Amino acid sequence: MVTHKVTFHPSERSIRVDQGENLLQAAMEAGIHINASCGGSATCGKCKVRLLSGKVDSPPHQKLSEEEYRSGYRLACLTSVTDDIGVDVPLESQVDRSVLALKGDRGSARYLLSPKDIFQLVRGWDVDPTVFKRYLELDPPTLQDNKSDLTRLINGLAKRHGIEGVSADFRAIMKLSRVLRDSDWKVTVTLVLTKRGYKLINVEPGDNTRQNYSIVIDLGTTTVFGQLLDLNQCTVVGCPDGQCDGTTLFALAEASDYNAQISYGEDVITRIVYSQKPGGLKKLQEVVVGTINGIIEELLTMSGVDRSLISHFVVAGNTTMTQLFLGLDPKYIRETPYVPTAHFVPPVRAVHLGINIGDHVHVYIFPMVASYVGGDIVAGILGSGIFQREALTLYMDIGTNGEIVLGNKDWLASVSCSAGPAFEGAGIKFGMRATRGAIEEVGINPHTYEPMILTIGRAKPLGICGSGLIDAVSALLETKMIDQNGKFHRDIPTERLRNGADGYEYVLAWKEETRLQEDIAINEIDIENLMRTKAAIYAGCKVLLDSVGLGFKDLEQVIIAGGFGRHLDVEKAIFIGLLPEIDINNFIFVGNGSLLGARLLSFSKDLLKETERISLMMTNLELSNHNGFMNEFIGAMFFPHTDATAFPGVMKRLQQPGREESSLKSAGVVS
Amino acid sequence: MAFAIPTISYTGKIKEVVLGKGPKAVTIGGETSYPFHFFEGDAPHAPRIAIEVYDAAPDDWADAALEPYKDVLNDPVAWAKKAVETYGAELIALQLVSTDPNGLNRSAEEAAATAKKVASAVDVPVLVWGSGSADKDAEVLRKVTEVCDGMNLVIGPIVEGNYKQVGAGAIAYKHTVAACSPIDINLAKQLNILLGNLGVPDGQLIVDPTTGGLGYGIEYTYSVMERDRMAALTQQDERLQFPLICNMAKEVWKTKEAKLKTEDAPTFGDAKKRGILMESVTAVTLLLAGADVLVMRHPEAIKLVREMIGDFKTK
Repeated sequence: MVTHKVTFHPSERSIRVDQGENLLQAAMEAGIHINASCGGSATCGKCKVRLLSGKVDSPPHQKLSEEEYRSGYRLACLTSVTDDIGVDVPLESQVDRSVLALKGDRGSARYLLSPKDIFQLVRGWDVDPTVFKRYLELDPPTLQDNKSDLTRLINGLAKRHGIEGVSADFRAIMKLSRVLRDSDWKVTVTLVLTKRGYKLINVEPGDNTRQNYSIVIDLGTTTVFGQLLDLNQCTVVGCPDGQCDGTTLFALAEASDYNAQISYGEDVITRIVYSQKPGGLKKLQEVVVGTINGIIEELLTMSGVDRSLISHFVVAGNTTMTQLFLGLDPKYIRETPYVPTAHFVPPVRAVHLGINIGDHVHVYIFPMVASYVGGDIVAGILGSGIFQREALTLYMDIGTNGEIVLGNKDWLASVSCSAGPAFEGAGIKFGMRATRGAIEEVGINPHTYEPMILTIGRAKPLGICGSGLIDAVSALLETKMIDQNGKFHRDIPTERLRNGADGYEYVLAWKEETRLQEDIAINEIDIENLMRTKAAIYAGCKVLLDSVGLGFKDLEQVIIAGGFGRHLDVEKAIFIGLLPEIDINNFIFVGNGSLLGARLLSFSKDLLKETERISLMMTNLELSNHNGFMNEFIGAMFFPHTDATAFPGVMKRLQQPGREESSLKSAGVVS
Repeated sequence: MAFAIPTISYTGKIKEVVLGKGPKAVTIGGETSYPFHFFEGDAPHAPRIAIEVYDAAPDDWADAALEPYKDVLNDPVAWAKKAVETYGAELIALQLVSTDPNGLNRSAEEAAATAKKVASAVDVPVLVWGSGSADKDAEVLRKVTEVCDGMNLVIGPIVEGNYKQVGAGAIAYKHTVAACSPIDINLAKQLNILLGNLGVPDGQLIVDPTTGGLGYGIEYTYSVMERDRMAALTQQDERLQFPLICNMAKEVWKTKEAKLKTEDAPTFGDAKKRGILMESVTAVTLLLAGADVLVMRHPEAIKLVREMIGDFKTK
């Protein structure tokens, strides 16, 4: 791809970007502040810059006068980079150089990570789905050749496709005779590989082999994600008219929704408690299936794929979510010695669970390791390829339950800690999932305290998602608007800091700039929730490493999974102490880790065996009775951490002369 | 080969803090080894004992504790003078219990005036301690810092909920702050960092780790203080290298073992002796854990502990 160099003046910082990259996005990535408070939706008109050299593609706008447009002023959010360019950042947006110098040259390192491609991480597998279709043309029976329809079909499979030892599902037999005759003996059969050989699960008229789809579901405590896969192409199904250029979303058939069980409790423990009430288990099973059916509906609608063409269904969830989904009593998960009902659950017919999908489809469930280390993490390990590599890797799945795995191809150890749903937008006043209108990137000018925000889809802001939250707290800390305990300094000279209904808050977007009837702000309670989440994750990693006698410095690779959003700014995640301060090049962000694994499992039956091996080789360390965890947790309840020596680079930036004097003024003792 | 006692190599040093002003000012801290490990390092300043003075006559003290002060209970100035002149107090700890919003709820102005009177009446350093209600202390202690401008009092307890208001006052009017956290080394360190961020100089900060009385959770305090010293002296944890103060008297003397009368608990033995020993043993335990300043009550317990400090020093 063609790249261009963008140089920002007067700071002279530059960054290389792909052809057509949005200029505001480029500035954000380069660490250049340009005021922008409408998320890049071209309504606030604040992101004015002046083009000094090169050419861009940028239309006039009502916020720019003709004179301004003539003399080179453009709105950065409307500008696509198509040439090497130099732009002048106007005075009201500028940040002095000493501040910029501390940030390091963001142009030269990859701070902003996007989910990695599936094929990069796991090697040595063949495209060979567990569930596949074959087309057959059979000779009609005659008086001389009067074998039964089923035998005819099975013989045909052996003869034409070399598939032997096929047994048939009764439901397929039920419609077999009719379908064969209606289709003039030209049919497509769906076969699934089971432990006892191939099983015939469906017969369709005509040649349907080109249309073989699978749905994969990440069953989270807070959020449920789903994707529609094309098993022939080995891809996520694309949506008609979808484009992947950063402004058009829904390029792929992906859907998510909050797990409807949230109404019965926010975490796994309260859900288990609810399941013990009369009718509770049934209720929880029904509502989560309702959420899943909603997602299936959305996937089918957005892709235009017919429901009958789905032949495979894979679910990865934590142990409690999996048991509730299957209607298995989760009571013993929370009672010592904390055991799940089963590690391996055989495929279950989808209709038996109430899933609105063809009655031949079976649900594959990822095996579980322990009560608090579920199939989602097994899926993540599968998808991330740790089990194949020599390099010592830390895998962190940052969800409502933070699940962390350490190891390589020879050994795997895991912990699970209750982290809270902050990164998925729950428990945050203006929190939302990473969908259209979510603020996903935030910067704050350290002099004027004006924000620079970018939203998903460049739409007017609707709320803030996990990545936006990390950016916002990092910026509040760096501009010294909050102290290391996450509390606002109350004397900041900006109207954006105010005492709101829920205590002190910083306004990211005024209501005129949003799609809401109110200002979007981040308050001290939000920051505290985020602090808890990041502290649990960091402490979990620390304890896991300590328990095998290793430290963060020993890690060769850190793979991060989670529903933060489309990107993760590693530098900012380190700045708040969510991630350890190690070489930025050692981090990989995979986005939704369990979907990654679930996709692989759909594409290759060989990986089914690997999945079982992973779940058997993983050793789980129980944190609920661990002496050191609470201590590490309290230590991490600080930005970036109570132990400053673990974050030397961050501390150096924080210790820049700041606003101590003005905080004394606020207390009214220094004039 | 001759036996050599294993020794610990230290890399840190506790910061020195000067309390009070003038010839009777007291320096604490400066240790370069664990408490009383004179064979490994130095402790240039012996631990000090502050004698308690209440700003209102206490109504729930054991008879044994009341007896030495019975003539001065209603007059904090006279009480402080008696503590210095009769019992040789090196420091006074003025407890502003009357400001407790659930008790007499006296105003900040009144409390600050009392603090100033007491601090002016004695020449030894004075610690001024609030009621422990974070919001009220923010007001009371802030006022004390202002009214007692430049007297270098020790102001406590400063907690996360009021460190900005009180800390800012201590910086502006030059007092030492006692940062108090609930028996947790991480929380103690976090508050020290926050006070540092606010601008409190290192030489004006001491740490109150929160104390339990003997038999009432003292092992938690002991272990936190021990870890504090380990981090400060052997792990160069710079934000923990501060002297420690234990406000222990009120914890000891509220226990039933210290309070029950002889006739109500004959199997417990003599009430006076019992209370004094409870206080002494608590004090020695905290000294062994690393306390630099103890807030104590009974003159005989104080005498015993002083003798013990003297014994430790000479060996």
